Amino acid sequence: MSTAQIRLATLWRREVNRFMKIKKQTIGAPLLETFLYITIFGAALGSRIKHLHGIDYVLFVIPGLIMMAFAINSFTNNSSSILQQKFQGAIQDQLSSPASPAELLLAFSLGGFMRGLIVATLTFIVSVVLVGLPVEHVLVLIPSLFLVGFFFSQLGVLIGVRAEQFDDVAFAQTFILTPLIFLGGVFYSASLLPQPWETLTRFDPIFYMINLVRYGFVGFTEVSIPLSLLALTGATAALFLVNLRLFSRGYRLRA
Amino acid sequence: MKALDIKDLEKRYPTGVEALRGVSIEIEEGEFFGLLGPNGAGKSTLIHCTTGLAQPTGGSIEVFENDAIDHYAKARQSVGLAPQEPNLDWFLTVEETLDYHAGYFGMPRRERRERTAELLETFSLTEKKDERTRTLSGGMKRRLILARAMMHRPRLLILDEPTAGVDVELRLELWHYVQKINQEGTTILLTTHYLEEAEQLCDRIAFIAEGQIVAEGSSDELAERFDVPNLEDAYLALVGRKELSRSHFESAPEVEA
Repeated sequence: MSTAQIRLATLWRREVNRFMKIKKQTIGAPLLETFLYITIFGAALGSRIKHLHGIDYVLFVIPGLIMMAFAINSFTNNSSSILQQKFQGAIQDQLSSPASPAELLLAFSLGGFMRGLIVATLTFIVSVVLVGLPVEHVLVLIPSLFLVGFFFSQLGVLIGVRAEQFDDVAFAQTFILTPLIFLGGVFYSASLLPQPWETLTRFDPIFYMINLVRYGFVGFTEVSIPLSLLALTGATAALFLVNLRLFSRGYRLRA
Repeated sequence: MKALDIKDLEKRYPTGVEALRGVSIEIEEGEFFGLLGPNGAGKSTLIHCTTGLAQPTGGSIEVFENDAIDHYAKARQSVGLAPQEPNLDWFLTVEETLDYHAGYFGMPRRERRERTAELLETFSLTEKKDERTRTLSGGMKRRLILARAMMHRPRLLILDEPTAGVDVELRLELWHYVQKINQEGTTILLTTHYLEEAEQLCDRIAFIAEGQIVAEGSSDELAERFDVPNLEDAYLALVGRKELSRSHFESAPEVEA
């Protein structure tokens, strides 16, 4: 391994090590939360709704829950990790190393991505075993999930770098992220909503992410798949470049 | 070769505070150099600029002839920093702290393992290696911070008030260690408020005040420059508190009870 590869691997390992040391909170709790959603919306509500657009309701809901688990865990991990290290001053050890801004950013991003991937994968496995969740379009599903994970990892980095107190992170998650995810159609189809809610839903970027993932799993979508993939790729790349600029300038990281 | 070559270094914070106003310092390879000054004089800012924790607004910094500001990779590789405030990661154990630090500097696994064991032994931390850093005592944290700074075998070691708040025993232990590594060739830049520490350890000393280097030389040269008997009095002259000099108290008439 080259020195740059050792550096990047170590930076990434630290991020994974951090959340694995508190896995009851970082892996266990989100898994429980997701299964509670599946139970409540799938089993309880599903017994009344039965089908949406010809798809079993529980199967309609689960793709959105997997996407939500990936998104929230990627985001939370990075925003918390960066802010905690800023508080402790521990981030100085990394900032004063020869690591480039791109290496630092990539390591933080991949840390959160990994946590999101673990929770999403475990949810997927249990869903396959319990309710037989299908995978209709694997070539759409894999890039979509990876883009979703990387996008929210970047968003977590951005909020973590900007945040000056834990309230800033909590605000972003509670008042922006969670409403956008819930109103993006995790539990319902936008076409069933009355106006203006149906139109408003189409302004929610997460609506497109949910549809990408839902299409990958059960083959149903309310949006154009190629356009949504393109937009998500563009948004992720743009966010990465913004973060890279912040890391290069040392925004709220260096004095 | 110059271990550290700082020219006209300026640092103005966004608040408008000018922490460094054209600081120039040259430290030769193998030197033990002290930087003294009152709180807020710019010592830590100068160190932060050298190690990438602050971005200078003017001037240049070279570490062993490598740029330390824009193309910093080679320069940073040569620098070890033991900061003033303990900045250990609470999630890591003592052993992980050393191992990860060396990884950030690209050290291969086997070498990391050997170096970690060596420094744990040197700093009497072997028994604590599996404990999380937040459970360590203040003295243990200080030792670990110094061990971490040494982990990647830096040629220039920067110690920002390394003995602040530690007991006499540990202070002497740290002195012996830094003297030893200096004799082995490591260049050292030390900031401290303990004048006897600077006097005993440093080959040359610079006084910094209000973001500027106001005097530089050996302990004797500085005393001569301020026309006082020792370094402590030279420092008191610098900060305008000559009345606090020990000689002043010693010559004062005894007060009867």
